[in-house]
Amino acid sequence: MKKYILTTVCVLVVFAFAKAQSAQDIFQAAGTPSNPKVNVAFNQYYTAEGLAAIGKKIADAHPNLVKRMSIGKSTQGRDIWMLAITDYSTGDADRKPGFYLDGNIHSNEIQGGEISTYTAWYLTESFGNVPYITEMLKDRVFYIVATINPDARNNYMKEPNTGSSPRAGMIPLDDDSDGLFDEDGYDDLDGDGSITQMRRKSTTGDYILDPRDPRKMIRIQPDDVITGQRYEMLGREGIDNDGDGQINEDTPGYYDPNRDWGWKWQPDYVQRGAYKYPFSAPETRAVADFVKAHPNIAGAQSFHNSGGMILRGPGAEEDVETYNRADVAIYDAIGKKGEELLPGYNYLTVYKDLYSVFGGELDWFYGGRGIYTFTNEIFTGFAYYKDKTRGRDQIYDAGKDLLLGDGFTPFKAYNHPTYGEVEIGGFKKNVGRATPGFMLEEEAHRNMVFVFYHAFHMPHLSVGDVTVKSLPNGLKEVTATIVNDRLMPTHASQDLKYNIERPDYITLSGGTVLAGMIVKDADFNVTEEQKNTPETIHVENIPGNSTVMVRWIVKGGNTFKIKVDSAKGGVVEKSVK
Amino acid sequence: MNQKSLLSLLLVCSLCYVTIAQTEYRNEQQVTAALKSMASQHSEAQLTSLTKTVGGKDIWMLTLSDGAPESHPGIAIMGGVQGDHLLGTEIALNMAENIVTNHPEVLQKTTFYIFPNLSPDATAQYFAATQFARHGNATKTDDDRDGQVNEDPFEDLNGDGVITMMRIEDPTGIYKMLEEDNRIMVMSDPNQGERGTYDLLTEGMDNDKDGDFNEDGLGGVAFNKNFTFNFPYFTPGAGEHPVSQVEHRALLDFLYTQWNLYAILTFSDENNLSTPLKYNKSGASKRVITSILEDDEAINAMLSETYNKLIPNTNAPDGSAQGGSAFEWAYFHFGRLAMSTPGWWPQKFEGDSINKAPKNETANFLAYAEAEGIKNAFIPWQEIQHPDFPNHKVEVGGIRPFLMKNPPYALVDSIAIKHTDFILKVAEMQPELQLVNLKQEKVGANLTRITVDLHNNGLLPTHTEMGEKSRWMRKINVYLKTKNNQQLISGKPRQVIEKIDGDDTITLSWLIQGSGNVTVEATVPQAGTATKTINL
Repeated sequence: MKKYILTTVCVLVVFAFAKAQSAQDIFQAAGTPSNPKVNVAFNQYYTAEGLAAIGKKIADAHPNLVKRMSIGKSTQGRDIWMLAITDYSTGDADRKPGFYLDGNIHSNEIQGGEISTYTAWYLTESFGNVPYITEMLKDRVFYIVATINPDARNNYMKEPNTGSSPRAGMIPLDDDSDGLFDEDGYDDLDGDGSITQMRRKSTTGDYILDPRDPRKMIRIQPDDVITGQRYEMLGREGIDNDGDGQINEDTPGYYDPNRDWGWKWQPDYVQRGAYKYPFSAPETRAVADFVKAHPNIAGAQSFHNSGGMILRGPGAEEDVETYNRADVAIYDAIGKKGEELLPGYNYLTVYKDLYSVFGGELDWFYGGRGIYTFTNEIFTGFAYYKDKTRGRDQIYDAGKDLLLGDGFTPFKAYNHPTYGEVEIGGFKKNVGRATPGFMLEEEAHRNMVFVFYHAFHMPHLSVGDVTVKSLPNGLKEVTATIVNDRLMPTHASQDLKYNIERPDYITLSGGTVLAGMIVKDADFNVTEEQKNTPETIHVENIPGNSTVMVRWIVKGGNTFKIKVDSAKGGVVEKSVK
Repeated sequence: MNQKSLLSLLLVCSLCYVTIAQTEYRNEQQVTAALKSMASQHSEAQLTSLTKTVGGKDIWMLTLSDGAPESHPGIAIMGGVQGDHLLGTEIALNMAENIVTNHPEVLQKTTFYIFPNLSPDATAQYFAATQFARHGNATKTDDDRDGQVNEDPFEDLNGDGVITMMRIEDPTGIYKMLEEDNRIMVMSDPNQGERGTYDLLTEGMDNDKDGDFNEDGLGGVAFNKNFTFNFPYFTPGAGEHPVSQVEHRALLDFLYTQWNLYAILTFSDENNLSTPLKYNKSGASKRVITSILEDDEAINAMLSETYNKLIPNTNAPDGSAQGGSAFEWAYFHFGRLAMSTPGWWPQKFEGDSINKAPKNETANFLAYAEAEGIKNAFIPWQEIQHPDFPNHKVEVGGIRPFLMKNPPYALVDSIAIKHTDFILKVAEMQPELQLVNLKQEKVGANLTRITVDLHNNGLLPTHTEMGEKSRWMRKINVYLKTKNNQQLISGKPRQVIEKIDGDDTITLSWLIQGSGNVTVEATVPQAGTATKTINL
């Protein structure tokens, strides 16, 4: 009987839910897909399996826009799912300028999973309704990997962690050099699912409770006269699991997947976190293999948290020379736009504004592949009160006023095997770095439009004016202007420096080509002849917001086809008589 | 005589035959056969294929150890580090044979991991129909980064089965004949009043008509250019990023789990044994370290002295590393004691009553080769018709490849014996933990102070100074193991010691309450485990 009632309730709930979703009951909020094919709640977070399931729903609902594939397996054997999104009815998908985005390389920095998923959802649900998106998917392809660290994403969510752990992936390492691997991690002593703080009453402790807010500890200053109870802080919740006289000294990991990339990689002693060699973690290797096999990728974005930053490289001070003025100007243009789109975020450079480290993802994408790449540090305390003047303590106000106490475990007594009577409590792992649910959709949307701005400015080629001039002896001179009307060149200057990507090919067909040349100056007829294969002119670059002019001397033919074939700029063609 | 002994006799005889008959560098099949034979003959030898290259060839590892390999400090020996260095493979193979046959006692204390050929795709070119000094593996690479792959290879224009050079008569050329040996072409120096009348190119055609000759042939990724230290980005043979090749990953994935490894010997152009590396303060004090560290400089000097006594450094070529090499990785990024040598180099021809010693290095080599009876060292210039130079005289010829790095095969045995002697001396120096001078003092009723010296009985430190920085060299762990009825009053149950220098000592002490046995254990994989049990 009980079961029967429960079923009825469920059916009623589902019915009510479904009815509420029917089109006539909905009034569209501007900027959000109305009555989407796939319903996703963007006020909560999803495990690796949760994200995978949403990705599958999106792919199943939009077969003409999405191809879903696994780009590799994680350490623990999970698929790393990628959604390749474009308008598959036009052009060859993998020849369109590509934009790669991923989230969650640091396992505790979870928002990237939802932001990437929101982007995939928005693209597919808006195609055909929002002309900007329809156009974008006609000539661009998005490669979206919601999580490139699925194992440790789940570990962060399902196992006791702080807001900053495990950060690594799940390959066990021996952090304390005792020959044992990951044998002394955190312990959730109070069973709240999070690793919080341990404190102990002590006559000599250097903290007291804030009399106005007992959740907060205040450090005693030299001249303070203390009459109340003093406390000492004992660090993160845990015990000495391996009996070696240390607590929490060998947690899962530790290596940093964002020190595992192949541009000027350096070992662990240079900056903590490097694993064995570039792409020694299977997850980063899967991404690198995918990117190497997709030379059409011209722009990229990775999502981290937190701090409200739009970061560009270089990651390491020693690598400053890699970023030259021409490319920095492009980064600046996109980054500054990002500051407008993402209030509270600052456009910064990793090595001077964050820390100076080698082996980052954005460094390899740019230094190793010539792809303009940003890393966004999602969420900043600014979001709570939209106020830049409030300090670090605003989280206590926000915890009380906005989260209504959710996300904080009050300090409770605990009998610790080493420390004796202690108190355990503090903010849970989902407060501080992860965006609170009621703000998550906005943060996803704003980061997505930043990605779109970046993707919009990938090279966009067309064959512009073509003139055909008759020369003596029945020869013709065909001159074509190739236009790139966006910010990015087909080859970043880093690319040009090392010939990372092949030249762009501009081919004339429809007649016998006797000579081919690049026109350096049309007015003064300055040309540079290409003696070999004159029908396919090799152009080292088609700069952003600029043109390249090429010319052929042709025998015979009436209709000429001019085809531009650029690895990062795509394929365009035009026929002229 | 039973059947089994007859069989072993036959086997031994056939081995003798192979040893005696060997007069030429061994190809892939012969190397594999030699390895398999060693593994089947000796219980201390174990043969493993780490992986197969893109070219489908095995990367062999022969492990020599008496007992579990990880239980002894280990030395890795790498041959075929450069595809044109067949000698490295031969030395590695012969060293393995020498150790397991003539010095098996060392295997009770030291494990050897021998990788005889790490460039099997490239070394195969020595045995191919068209022979040339190849470094790259079978991975297809776009060496000139123009979007076409392998579009401009060498061609054997004079049909002699060897790729050499072409000289083209041309008044715009910048090469001229060397006066003291006009077979050799050198760059002319206008400041010395010299005019060039030749161009000098490698043998082949400009297949893709891009003005460069043979710039994108079989190519591939060179084993000794694809490591992480000072990686030569976007240069031919380097690969798209460090450790991009399957053989590199397989080798490193294996080595990074061998905590017992303390030394790596590579046979390659890099040479820190004839001339030790020099410490450079500015290179050593930056966070990206580019100089050997000060303590390690002293060890290198000691090893070099040992080496030079066996293999004098007279005429040893410049052995400085070029970036991306296995040797640099072994020291700078893996923190191990890293040794490298080409194993052999041509001696200088000093001249005799008839012949003056040529000053030019190549000319001198040819004189040396002649004196040593090395035949056909120079392939004489021979005129050919070259379609790319229709109105020029073009000749093909030059030094036969491989000769300057690979001695006549008859010398291989003695070279390998000297290197075996050298590595045995290194093994004698290996770090070895000992607990000595154990002292027990009664401090009070049931209260005992234990003092013991933790001594490194080896001449080499437990950790190089670089290894001390690396997470891939384990620290020394010292445990004091007590029982329930005992209590540690002072001192730690586990303590970590960063390093003990060669023949150096650290004194440890504990205060224990209780009676019965306690055990002290000091352990680090690369210097063994020392244990003492004390009855309180």
